[in-house]
Amino acid sequence: MKILVCIKQVPDMESRFRPNASGTWFEESDLAFRMNEYDEYAVEQAVQLKEQLAGEPEVTVLSIGPDRVNEALKKALAMGCDRGVHIQDPAPQDKDPWQIASIIAQFAQGEGFDLVFTGMQSQDRGSAQVGVLVAELLGYACATTLVGFSFSDGLVTARRELEGGIKGVVKLGLPAVVTCQLGLNTPRYPTLPNIMKAKKKDVLTIPVADLLHEEAVAATARFYPPEKKGGGIVLEGDVGNLVEQLYGILKEKTTVLR
Amino acid sequence: MNFELSQDHKVLQDAVRDFVEKEVKPVAAKTDEEHMIPDELVRKMGEMGFMGSYLPEEYGGAGLDMLSYAIVVEEVSKACGSSGVLISAHTSLCCGPIHTFGTEEQKIKWLPPLNSGEVIGCFLLTEPDAGSDAGALATTYRREGDEFVINGSKIFITNGGYKGTGVLFATSDRSLKHKGVSAFIIDLDTPGVEILKNEKKLGIRGSYTTAFALDNVRIPAENLLGQEGQGFRIAMDTLNGGRIGIASQALGIAEGAFERALAYSKERKQFGAPISDLQAIQFKLADMWARIETSKLMTYKAAWLKDNKKSYTMESAMCKMLASEAATFVTKEAIQIHGGYGFICDYEVERMFRDAKITEIYEGTNEVQRVVISKLLLS
Repeated sequence: MKILVCIKQVPDMESRFRPNASGTWFEESDLAFRMNEYDEYAVEQAVQLKEQLAGEPEVTVLSIGPDRVNEALKKALAMGCDRGVHIQDPAPQDKDPWQIASIIAQFAQGEGFDLVFTGMQSQDRGSAQVGVLVAELLGYACATTLVGFSFSDGLVTARRELEGGIKGVVKLGLPAVVTCQLGLNTPRYPTLPNIMKAKKKDVLTIPVADLLHEEAVAATARFYPPEKKGGGIVLEGDVGNLVEQLYGILKEKTTVLR
Repeated sequence: MNFELSQDHKVLQDAVRDFVEKEVKPVAAKTDEEHMIPDELVRKMGEMGFMGSYLPEEYGGAGLDMLSYAIVVEEVSKACGSSGVLISAHTSLCCGPIHTFGTEEQKIKWLPPLNSGEVIGCFLLTEPDAGSDAGALATTYRREGDEFVINGSKIFITNGGYKGTGVLFATSDRSLKHKGVSAFIIDLDTPGVEILKNEKKLGIRGSYTTAFALDNVRIPAENLLGQEGQGFRIAMDTLNGGRIGIASQALGIAEGAFERALAYSKERKQFGAPISDLQAIQFKLADMWARIETSKLMTYKAAWLKDNKKSYTMESAMCKMLASEAATFVTKEAIQIHGGYGFICDYEVERMFRDAKITEIYEGTNEVQRVVISKLLLS
């Protein structure tokens, strides 16, 4: 069995974001990056499946981006993936989900993957489109937002999270793409010995131009922080005075007393 | 010249941070209160490979480098100084000398259980009348057939309470001073080894600080570490490396207190604005951060020098001195920024303040570090 895990490196979500010079994305300098949380569930599930099948499947982990994404790839390799694929792209943020999916599909085409794991969405762009587009482009079955996964007799049983806490169970034949949601599993920590072993695993680097043949179908027009709302008003004085002030405000600025 | 961590070191740092956030931080207060690191945490840190980070893979270590080790101790100490010194004393002071001075047979026998964390290591040098003056040891050994017989006492032994594996120093003849000192590997479960007490302390309360009596302790002759009479050199060499661990611990404690003080200064409002708007607080933060960064540069440099097989005695003394003084300064200021809240136990900087002090004392007091540095300058 051949497994592909697609991961993205995203900024630490606790960072302070500023729009970049073109105003279409955030300024990346000074940000700390890490593996997209949903992709960690994807890596963990792929490695668990490899363990279930006594180590037989080869797990390839792929990421698109500049040099720094190697950190996310190394983490995935330390968690138990077998080999890495780094699609070298200095500006993945300028590509829309369609292009990103087409790059992955182009790479995957000749490789004959049986199962593709990825996060349900990225924490930064959050389009939730890449997984399903890859499935469509490859002609694979697809299930999204997995909170449960099992594999037996060549069949994937996926438990999906639907609106309002309702769950649905889907069975898929291979080849298939699944996208992973919070609650699917608890990603393991990369241990120090495994971080050392990961250093010896192969990472193949491919320039993005070799795989990208599609034009964008959507473009980000503007990236901006929400407008600052005015601060609250603190009234001071004795009770009688407070009531008068409040009455005045309600009368003047609202329709409550009209 | 490059001051950035390599990608491999960043991956490691990230992994350790994640672990510390979820596994160490939640039990740090309990560790202090109960005077014990939970066994569960010791086991988990062993599984993570924290107990043999820079030891070779063939002896069960992770095979990483000294910088990785410094990062591990630093990150763990940000949450818990006791857990930081557990790793530091175990790795630098026990695994380290066995790896550097041990025979192949000794390494194969003793290192794997230490590196996995299954057995905890310690370093038995200090005695009531011999600390930095290692030539004044009163614990004696004599050869009897295939055994060495050891008599004496040891105090202030970090990790001693685990009764695991120790690197022990004793003299054949006190009149020979440091030339009479030899080093031995000892299983502390051997008959004649008695724990007199685990000390109650100002800080690092989760870490065992143990006093031992050694009464006719018989250990096999093959447990001699290095040559007879080489003990003093082994002790000095070991402490050199150990200082990088203590510097990392101190650095972590300082960073942990700084993080909390910075966050608190932005939350706490007085006179209608966060106290971080006050220049008095801003200047404190600037001074704290500058000391942290200076210590970090020197600590990482000392680790880098050791990794690159360059002389690092001066830098390890300087990083230990700088980082420990940064830790006492930063934790004190962190309490000041917290005001009255900083003085009560719930806010953690109180614990960090207590944990910081020992880093100026153990593995060579800072006065001894100044002796080391000035001797090298004047030699």
